[in-house]
Amino acid sequence: MSLNTKNLARFQSLIALVILCIVLSCLSDKFLTVDNGWNVMRQISVNICIAVGMTLVVLTSGIDLSVGSVLALCGAITAGLLKNGVDVPSGDLYIGFTLFGAIMAGLLTGSAVGAFNGFTITRFKVPPFVATLAMLTIARGLTLLYTKGFPISVLGDHFDFIGTGWFLGIPVPVWISAIVVLGAVVLTNKTQLGRYIYAIGGNENAARLSGIKISKVKITVYALAGALAAVGGLLVTSRLDSAQPNAGISYELDAIAAVVIGGTSLSGGKGTIWGTVLGAVIIGVLNNGLVLLNVSPFWQQVVKGAVILLAVIIDKASSKNE
Amino acid sequence: MKKVYKYGIWVVIIAFTLYNSVYFRKLSEMKAPAKTFNAASYAQDMLNNKLPAVTEKAITIDELFTQIKSQPNEAFSAYGHALTIGSIRFFMVKGAGEVDAIDESDVKLVTTGHNNVYIATEFVFGNAIRDASGLINLNDFSNTVDLSNISSEVNKIIRAKVIPPFKAVVKKGSKVEFTGAIELNQARLNVEDPEVIPVTLKVLP
Repeated sequence: MSLNTKNLARFQSLIALVILCIVLSCLSDKFLTVDNGWNVMRQISVNICIAVGMTLVVLTSGIDLSVGSVLALCGAITAGLLKNGVDVPSGDLYIGFTLFGAIMAGLLTGSAVGAFNGFTITRFKVPPFVATLAMLTIARGLTLLYTKGFPISVLGDHFDFIGTGWFLGIPVPVWISAIVVLGAVVLTNKTQLGRYIYAIGGNENAARLSGIKISKVKITVYALAGALAAVGGLLVTSRLDSAQPNAGISYELDAIAAVVIGGTSLSGGKGTIWGTVLGAVIIGVLNNGLVLLNVSPFWQQVVKGAVILLAVIIDKASSKNE
Repeated sequence: MKKVYKYGIWVVIIAFTLYNSVYFRKLSEMKAPAKTFNAASYAQDMLNNKLPAVTEKAITIDELFTQIKSQPNEAFSAYGHALTIGSIRFFMVKGAGEVDAIDESDVKLVTTGHNNVYIATEFVFGNAIRDASGLINLNDFSNTVDLSNISSEVNKIIRAKVIPPFKAVVKKGSKVEFTGAIELNQARLNVEDPEVIPVTLKVLP
């Protein structure tokens, strides 16, 4: 492959994003405005958090279908503890949670659910697709049980600030997703765990033979994906000022789409966090553009699906050429 | 020795985290003031004591339509209310007119400003009165069920106490004064033949 073709393949997501932005700018005068830019950034913050976790999982050649439900569960637990605390009637005790405490509880729940996913996958050799599909249903059921099917609303201004506030002229969710991205970039590029993740995804047997503790790494990765889904849950709940029992439905598909469009190989071992961020931005811009152009929501699904399919086909073709 | 330091640091971190995460109270003290929300009495109080002031100051439907036709954004912002995001707004209006037709589900009036208005007399549902009143603050309610119940109870009172006496005496040609709520969608603006969910109805002698 020539150098130019190589570079083209390397930056294909970025080129696609630029073309998409140019086309949408021509079709809608509302697209290329500062307000709309922040609007898109706010909207993609949640998907970025989830998709970064998904990237780590996919790099180990796994998949996590439970992130949407985990997002809802963690949002509900955070909101429930913040608003209602925990009653212990037998001891005439009320355990209240501070904002910090409720957020920590939500994040720990996400990590625990993710770690459980990793445990079932490594300990019982359940395929990741099946294990996390089961968790998708379990976490949704737990959310409905905890909330009794009702939203938990009116969570206070301090909590709302996380999803709706601004800091130094930038929306808080954008700051949070930026921190998540930078953390993940450092993790994948500069740490031993990052190298292990790529090694496992590239060739699990070779990684095992070279002394990497596969189970430990995978459990850690799924726990991280769960924690990042919880971060997404915090953002969604805070933005709506309400924990909805049906929040996050099909969010896992948007996250997987961002990962795939960003060039991460579903067979593992190849891909970058920056690629996923680009993928999430492309999906966000596409969603936003289709809404601005008054495209029917039914057609939006078709277009999104077609874009994902196209991305995979291009990725496969360019992999073949390498 | 190194392990002692390591565990010591972890104990400090966990203790700090827990100290800043939870607090304890007596359950009996915390839960004592909590009362269950009574939507029926809230609705009764709203209709009897709070809404009259709102309907008294309400814009006439003819004036509202004139303003909406000339300056829709200003009119929506000045007179419209909503508890949710989106382009739908509710307006509290008053007006007078002559009965042009009586149907099973509504009474058609031609207002003094020559607008056709349909007074709902059968299907009084939704949140129009609650939202148009501008009296509701979302933060005063702990859940959306309570909010929905207010509308349900308000509509129940209107169906039981406002509409039957009106339907008993209204005839084609009757002069009618009304106050009530209407719903308009700013994105698909249509002020032709609006339906008014009534708050008060009076057939003039």
